[in-house]
Amino acid sequence: MSTEPEVPEGAREGPALSIARRVAATTGALLRNRGVRVAAASTALFLLALAGTGWDFRAVAPPAADVSVSPPAKPASREAARLLAERQRLEAALRRKVPRGTWIVIDQTHNRLRLMKGEETVLEAPCSAGSGMVLKEGSGGRVWVFDTPRGRFEVLSRLANPVWRKPDWAFVEEGEAIPKDPGDRLEYGSLGEYALYFGNGYMIHGTLYERLLGRPVSHGCIRLGREPLREVWRLAPLGTPVYIY
Amino acid sequence: MRARDLLFLFALAALVATRGAAAPASAPTADDPETARLRGQVERLRHERDLASGKGFYLRLDASGRRLSLTLQGVALDDYPASGVEWGVPEVLFVNRGPGADWDAMPFSKGRLEPERERDRLEVVAPAPAGKTPEPEASPSPPPVPKSAEETYSVPSPYRIVFAERVSLEVRSKGGGGRNRSAVQRLADAIRLRLADLATALGLGAKERVRLRVTLEADDAASLYRSLPPDVGLIVVGLPPR
Repeated sequence: MSTEPEVPEGAREGPALSIARRVAATTGALLRNRGVRVAAASTALFLLALAGTGWDFRAVAPPAADVSVSPPAKPASREAARLLAERQRLEAALRRKVPRGTWIVIDQTHNRLRLMKGEETVLEAPCSAGSGMVLKEGSGGRVWVFDTPRGRFEVLSRLANPVWRKPDWAFVEEGEAIPKDPGDRLEYGSLGEYALYFGNGYMIHGTLYERLLGRPVSHGCIRLGREPLREVWRLAPLGTPVYIY
Repeated sequence: MRARDLLFLFALAALVATRGAAAPASAPTADDPETARLRGQVERLRHERDLASGKGFYLRLDASGRRLSLTLQGVALDDYPASGVEWGVPEVLFVNRGPGADWDAMPFSKGRLEPERERDRLEVVAPAPAGKTPEPEASPSPPPVPKSAEETYSVPSPYRIVFAERVSLEVRSKGGGGRNRSAVQRLADAIRLRLADLATALGLGAKERVRLRVTLEADDAASLYRSLPPDVGLIVVGLPPR
């Protein structure tokens, strides 16, 4: 049983009631004004219209646990049976698109390479893709863009101890004269221990600049660190699909 | 003899009649929900097979499986689990415009980011070969080391991938907020989005009929924004029938 003195209800709510009365009086006075009434109604209508105009979204619920992907025991009709068989055939055809052996995925934006075996990631390593830089030759007027191409490629050849045959842009970039003797274009060691050629002059190879891995610094090839390159060399035979995005 | 012939004819007629009566029950009809569902699935799979046979990148949104995959030739190159998937239509005064039956049966094409991803290419004018007079425009020093993707691109949240068929995919980051976006940029993003929503609903500006919305982990949303290839396609599977 409480021993506190009882406080009358009105005395406790005094200030609140007073404020409420004042608000009501002011609102009443305002609403007696026709212009204010019209403005308030227009604003309310506008806000209501605004709230009801835009996009009406509905959530997609995840499937219930008992909904099975497996076909029903007996199709309802001959047509349903035919469609079921067609669905299974198409699903199998799509599953076959995923390479069963080794394949390589390169995210050129984030400079990451993944070596896959079936659906399993065997290796993930930083790499360096094309810088996107534009090189303009001052006098000759030629222009090169150092992008890595996107799409699906294949390992077309594999080279141990590759020798780089420097293209024109390599000399132009360094401010050197383009040699007339093809032998002067050869550079040893700069591509690392291995190179996997995937077409149009592009390769996955090693680098002397491992500290820059993870940044887009190459001229379009994919540079890889020494250890991951050894692993890729070991596991990626000729014909290995290379997906670059 | 005649009686037997008549009996035979009667039996034949009865057989035909019973088969005829039974036929509508087993024949496929538009009202058979199971067959209609299967037909829809087969149609989508055919479209997916066609996409997988092409050379273009496409996104595959499994709405009920809650996964968004960047795909090339049927191979998921990157997979983003979604914590929420919604789809919406424009509404005016609480009345929405239906998207039309089977709007999601077809794949969508030529997806582009909105707002666009900015990329400044570094341009370098090569120095003159040794022994020659230097080029007047030649870059004075070696080019700087390019920034990483995380340093280069600021990522708005939400952002949209808008397709040519007046369908868009809105990508939201879980927890909200973009990457590398200042408070002012975020406020501007929100206001621009609301105004764009109003304009679209009223039929002004971009004529959008359906918008899909996925909520991804912030890292995934940012990663997708940075690396989305140009002209990407979209196929939606697993939307419940309406």
